[in-house]
Parts: sequence; C-alpha cells; structure tokens
Amino acid sequence: MAYAGSTVHIGCAFSIIEIVAVLYRRHLRYPENNPHASDRDYFVLSKGHGVMAQYACMHELGWLSDETLANYFSDGSELKGLSDSRIPGLEVTSGSLGHGFSVGVGLAMGAKLKGTDQKTYALVGDGEINEGPIWEGALFASHHNLENFMVIVDENNFQAMGETKDILRLGSIQHKFESFGFESLTIDGHDESAINGAIERLRSSKSGAPKALIAKTVKGKGVPFMENNNLWHYTRLNAETYALAMAAIQENEL
Amino acid sequence: MRAAFSDALVRIAQADPNVLLLTGDHGYALFDEFRRACPRQYINAGIAEQNMVGMAAGLARSGFRPFVYGLSAFIPVRVVEQIKLDIAHDALPVVLIGDGAGFVYSHLGTSHQSTEDIACARAIPNLSIYSPGDRFELVACMELAYQSASPCYFRMGKSDRGDVHTQIPKIEMGRLLNVKPGQSGDILFVATGSMLRTTLDVATQHYPNATVWSAPVIKPIDAEHLVALCGRSRAVVVVEEHSVMGGVGSLIAETITEFTPTRLLRIGVNDRFSHYCGTYDYLLHEHGLDKETIIEKINTFLSTVSS
Repeated sequence: MAYAGSTVHIGCAFSIIEIVAVLYRRHLRYPENNPHASDRDYFVLSKGHGVMAQYACMHELGWLSDETLANYFSDGSELKGLSDSRIPGLEVTSGSLGHGFSVGVGLAMGAKLKGTDQKTYALVGDGEINEGPIWEGALFASHHNLENFMVIVDENNFQAMGETKDILRLGSIQHKFESFGFESLTIDGHDESAINGAIERLRSSKSGAPKALIAKTVKGKGVPFMENNNLWHYTRLNAETYALAMAAIQENEL
Repeated sequence: MRAAFSDALVRIAQADPNVLLLTGDHGYALFDEFRRACPRQYINAGIAEQNMVGMAAGLARSGFRPFVYGLSAFIPVRVVEQIKLDIAHDALPVVLIGDGAGFVYSHLGTSHQSTEDIACARAIPNLSIYSPGDRFELVACMELAYQSASPCYFRMGKSDRGDVHTQIPKIEMGRLLNVKPGQSGDILFVATGSMLRTTLDVATQHYPNATVWSAPVIKPIDAEHLVALCGRSRAVVVVEEHSVMGGVGSLIAETITEFTPTRLLRIGVNDRFSHYCGTYDYLLHEHGLDKETIIEKINTFLSTVSS
C-alpha cells in the first residue's frame, strides 16, 4: 500500500499496528464477523492517517479483498489515504484531527442510553490531542461516567512538523487524562501482551470512569531506517526502500 | 415563535423516545417544558459546541435522533467542519438548530450576530436548510425536518414580527410558498425568516400588484419551479436578514440566471459588520433593512428596470 500511494503516512500506521491488532484479535466484538452488526463494539480511528494499519487488519478479517487492497490509490480506489466511514468497518471519516474522539463519546453515550454493553475505543495521536474538542469530549465522558469509553493515545512523540516536545509540550498525557477524571495506564505500545493486559485491567474496573490507555510507541516501528525519522510521516516507498523495509520486517519476524 | 418551537419539539420527542435534545448550555427558559416533559431526552453538553456536534453524530449512528440547539453564530458557523465531516458526509439524521439568526442579539455585537450562516451551510452536500417566517411555518418545517430523517440546519430568527399565515401551511420540499397573490408580469418578492412579515407589509402597501413568496426551505430548491416563477415576473426582489453573499438572494440569482434574463435585486446585509449597538430596529436601520430603506432600494432598482 505504501508503495502505491503519494501521501501514505506509513510511519503513523507502523506506530499503531500492534494496538490495532490486539484490539481486533482480543477485544472488539463483531457478531458473525459483521462490520455492520448493530450490537458491535466501536473502534474509532480518530487519527485517520493511521488507516493503513486498520486496512491490514480488515483484510485479515476478510472485510477487504486482495483486489481492493492491490488497487490502493489507483484511480477509482475506494480506500483513501485517510479513514472514510463509507468503508464497512471504518466508523468515522477522520483525518481532520479531533473529530473521531467526540463521535466516539457520542457512540458510548448512545450505548449507555440504550443500556447495551457495547464498548467504544477511540485511537488518537499524541499530536492530535493539541485539538480542543478532545478536551471538551473528555469533560463530557467523565461527567457522564462513560465507563464504556476508552481512548488510546498513540504517543510516538512526533507530529507532522517535528517532535511534540518542540511544538506544543504535552507533559504527562496520563496525568492530563487522570485530572479529567479518566482511569489511566501507560504501557509499551509495541508489546502486545502489555497492551492486552492493560486493556483488560482497565476494562475490569467498575469505577464508572472512562479509560485512557497511553501507548508509548515508536513512529515507523519495525523498519530501522524509518524509526523516529519524521521524514516517514508522509514519504512513499520506492523499489529500493520497499525491498529494504520488507527485508527488515521479515528479519524481525524470524 | 419560541413557544411554538418548544411545543413542536416536545410533541416530536414525546412521540419518539429516540429523539434527544442537545444544547450547548443555551435556551434556559426555552427548554423548561421539554425538561419537564422529557427529562431523559435532554442533554446539556456544556459550552463545547464542537464536541456536541461530533457526539450528535455518534448518537445518530447508534440509532438516536439528535436535535442540536445553539445560537446560529455557533451552530452552524463555529462547527461547520463537524457538520460537514461528522454528520453530512454520511447523511446522518441530525437537526441542527441555530437560534437568534440575524441581529436578534442587537445589543451584544458581532459575536452573537449571525449573517453568514446560510452561506456556510449551503455549500455542504446532503444538508437541507429551513428558515421559517412565522410560527405556522416553523411547525410545518419542524415536522419536515423530523420526517426527512436526514441532516438539516434549522434557522430561527427574530420571532415577534407577527404571523403571516393563519394556519399551518403545506410546505412542499424545495418550493417557495405563496403568501400574497398578485399579477403575472409584475414584481415578485421572495423573503425568508424574519423578513417575511416586513416584506409582505411593504408589498401590500406599496406594490399591490406584486406577488410575495416565502422561502421556508432554502435547500434543496426546486429550480424549475423557481425559474418558472421568476421568468414570468418583471423583476425579482429578495429580502433577507443575512449577507447578500451566499444567502437566498444569491441562491435565486445563481439559479435563475442560467435560464432567464429577469433582473434581480438582493436586499440583505452588505458585506459588513455592525458598527453600533441598539435595539433590533436600530440595527435593521443601520443595515438598511428597515421598511423605509427597503422601499428606497426597490424604487431605485425599479427605475432601472424596463417595464
């Protein structure tokens, strides 16, 4: 996919791939593997530019065909560079940052009002939480005791133009969410068992508070020449870098 | 008009438990009856309009029918992007109510005055726009907005200019509504919202052969109907408490100009903010929307139109 596209956000997808995989594998409920099921859990990719990670999982689930994936970014492709809610399995049209979080809070409020046990997970970037509506939504989720809502922050320490610490200093994201009334944990966002354990621990708490999982990640994780190199926020792969990246990933898998 | 609005909303919410009212901490006394009658369907989302509109999208996705209330300076203007992406993109059934449109908050200044909202909303695909001219049109529009189960912006302006209708009119989606018959080939007036009563008075007193139409639905618009009406008129005059850019005058001009050479005068806010504060009538005068100035503008215009 990242070979095909012009603005592919590959580093942004690599930083969240383990989180997204654990969610689909262990937590998100889709009755009969149906992305339209009315009683499904909701996974809202608020950082819509990480959508390639989600496409990869949706392909594994059989929701996206080989052909659709192979056509990525060709003329007439349905799969876009950012999350588009018209694709079954994508809950929001995001990419403009700070939107998905609020839609997720609305979905969680809806489930609470209906009295269902549906869960909502909203995945946001650390750069994304510069956006004001995130904090409006955090106040609301906390005030209304939306225990069924979990925000996962992909803290890769980078945003489009550089390091978060140089652009708008975030300090402790966990403390920020805790001060808004969230129950929060920080983990290594590439350690699948740590991600799974933290989600289970937060889920098991019945304090009434919404949850925040802070995932410490590495932008471009898995490909040494991409890791923590912000050039790979946007850059597309060419034949040479594609071969190098694939070799590095295959070596990691051995 | 506010009582009619509250009554209509309560009636709709009582009939459908999935209707939710979300307010951005506005409408204190306005919602007393709603809060009494439907307390479980009332959510004060706080002074946080961006989140409120995003949440409304989430609630609509999970099967609810949100009515989102704010002042029109904020809903839709502050949240145009949330409306576009979160709601209109997927045609979610959310009714966005912008109250106090125009110069209702005449003493408060630019922050609370709203004469750009139609222009902002019009360019968004899938979004209908309602702009009732009196209590009866309001009730008809509320029912249409609910029944359509699609995204819409509901514009509410100054409420005490007096009724035009005596009963709830039948509004056909996209069509202008006749409020004064006249002679074919004479002037055709179109007014929306708060300017309907004023326009009807001006026409009745000074242009007795003119026809007057209300525009309670601004989008979608039945272009064929509009072109037919305007094409058989000597001239068209559109009056609105909104910028002449992107409002109803602009809409009609751009729609008919492809088909008919009929001249058209837009009377509205001339691309400027208020300089002063004062009563509502004072502000209308400042912007040339009082009866005397309107008549002056029409007569100047008509003197250049061949009969």
